[in-house]
Amino acid sequence: MISLRSKKNKEGSLTTKGEGPSLLGLGLSLPPFLLVLVFVGLPILIGLTFSLGFTTGPNRVIAIIGQQIHKKNHWWGTLGAYNDVIHDSRFLGDLSLTIFVTVLSTTLVLLLALSIALYQRLIGGRKASVLVTLSIVPLFVPVVISAWAIHTFYGGDGFMRTLFSHFGINFPTLTSTPSAIVIGTVWTSLPFAILMISSGLQAIPDALIESAKDCGASSLRVIANILIPLAKTPIIIAASFTSIGILGSFTIPLFLGPNQPTMLGVEISNFFGAYNRPQQSLVMAFIVFAVASGIAFMYVRSNIKSAKESGRL
Amino acid sequence: MFKKSMKKPLALFAAASLAAIGLTVPASHAASQTIQVYISADTNIQDLWVKTLVPAFKLAYPGYDVNVTFDLHGDHDAQETAKITAAAVLHKDPGADLIDGGFVTTLGAAGLLYRPTPGLMPNTKDLNKAVLAAGKGGIPYRASSVLLAYNSTNVPTPPATLDDLLAWIKAHPGKFTYNVPSGGGSGYSFVETVVDKYLSKSDLTTLAQQAAPELEANWAQGLETLRQLNKYTYGQNGTYPANNAETLKDLSTGLVDMGTVWSDQFSSALKAGTMPANIKVTAIKNPSFTGGASYLGIPNSSTNKVGARLLANWVLSPAAQNLIVSGTLNGFPVIPLNKLDPKAVAAFAGVDILNLRPTFISANANDLKSKWASTVPGK
Repeated sequence: MISLRSKKNKEGSLTTKGEGPSLLGLGLSLPPFLLVLVFVGLPILIGLTFSLGFTTGPNRVIAIIGQQIHKKNHWWGTLGAYNDVIHDSRFLGDLSLTIFVTVLSTTLVLLLALSIALYQRLIGGRKASVLVTLSIVPLFVPVVISAWAIHTFYGGDGFMRTLFSHFGINFPTLTSTPSAIVIGTVWTSLPFAILMISSGLQAIPDALIESAKDCGASSLRVIANILIPLAKTPIIIAASFTSIGILGSFTIPLFLGPNQPTMLGVEISNFFGAYNRPQQSLVMAFIVFAVASGIAFMYVRSNIKSAKESGRL
Repeated sequence: MFKKSMKKPLALFAAASLAAIGLTVPASHAASQTIQVYISADTNIQDLWVKTLVPAFKLAYPGYDVNVTFDLHGDHDAQETAKITAAAVLHKDPGADLIDGGFVTTLGAAGLLYRPTPGLMPNTKDLNKAVLAAGKGGIPYRASSVLLAYNSTNVPTPPATLDDLLAWIKAHPGKFTYNVPSGGGSGYSFVETVVDKYLSKSDLTTLAQQAAPELEANWAQGLETLRQLNKYTYGQNGTYPANNAETLKDLSTGLVDMGTVWSDQFSSALKAGTMPANIKVTAIKNPSFTGGASYLGIPNSSTNKVGARLLANWVLSPAAQNLIVSGTLNGFPVIPLNKLDPKAVAAFAGVDILNLRPTFISANANDLKSKWASTVPGK
């Protein structure tokens, strides 16, 4: 669809109403749009009404089974379940941990990905290619497997503690701590960020780097003033995808994190399953959704900006 | 050309798959002899059904076929409960004729289970009447109990009462653990037992039979005792293993000397060799850890109640109960021991298997899990 429209832009015509290609575009985009609308949009809407205390219609069955169900007392519903969650002693700790892990892990992932990608772009060679290839390996390891691997590596009877105890050093047990969650999320998120950022840096023409160097710019200056600004869009895409992925992570904090506070992904599952409070778990899901929407907004804004800069919009 | 030549096989394939779908939907005469069994449990229960009970049942009743659907660790209990509730409301086939899982009692309490008369299921006459009544339509078919596992090399004489155990935990920091109550029943049992220590007999009876949010304030003392154990249990700042399996792993690798375990999971691990022989189990008193029956349920909306009833009745027969006791599961029977193989039941000396201490019903248990999570770990 984009290519069709950009063609039109070149011809100077911006109105696409009622013309053949736009119908084709509509036809092509309609199936995925309808799919998302019916299988994602509708359940979200039903979930929202349930969290607000609408307990009839499609929410009837879950309202029979769930505990601590709030039924609506205004025409628009009730905020009872939202009140429950906000006043739950666990919630603030869970939310803080979730945001802390998301910010810290995303920062670490971006720094690591950027350094590997810059190394490949500026120095290159066989070693750099091997490094990039190796750093993509986690992409092919299922998250459950890597979570257990990290668990046995840093656990109470794990490799690190066993190794260090040979030298009389008491290495701390990292499992059941936020540090282990950060290690796990960095491991799982790194490959995508590296793929994204390194391809962004590869697309920058050599001529720009060389002419800057000819004018006497240091490598640091080339990175700060040329490479990073030109690769801004892929970096922002990597940052938003990584942070949204970490925000909703479940397996890593379940296996590696402390029992309490825990990340919201695990708490939502606890509330839905073990504590049988579906309404409250939905409320938490909507809070995660709100935070993720903030990140998505940054992503969309950056996309629009880059589209404007390249004349596509 | 290529397109043309592909068209015919594609059409044939489409027709064949449509026919296949069509064949599986309507219940033909043969399908009515198929009993759909839904199991929500650990793999040891899957083995019990698939490798032991189902083949023996098919030998006894050659006309029947049993189709087992398995859900590991009951991950989909909430969805399955919703599905069966919805099927009952809409009068549709729930896709399950006989259910073995923790949520059977929830279905029973909601009045969604078929309750055959004793005449239709003669073997229920051997069951403990109170246990059968508590199922509200659920049929008790095996039992298990939570026991205290200990490393006999490091702990020659294990604690005999709950008070002794609490004193032992404080005297041996970092050597005891129990798993998160929401992650597995063995840790839940320890938590409930400590809470029960401070409850009156009438409160205990009420909590085991009906949802009683007004009694939850009485849990505070027990939860405070548990919070104070944080610095003595294994794991920094009160962190606990995620599930039953992790407690077993911590015991077998020697990280801890003592922990709470399910009787059947422990026996299976011992038999499989994943648990060293120096780890032993014992029952404690005043109060004892909880235990109880596992229930089978026939949904009201089941389309093959006759087959389900036949299978459930057979599972209560001495022949099937012997299989539950002596197979890989090492479960507790639900019928009097004198009807069973004396060699197989010798292992139960010291545990009063027909009078296990019941747990809270699920509504109260869910609240206890939630209360524990907000007051104990990391506090």
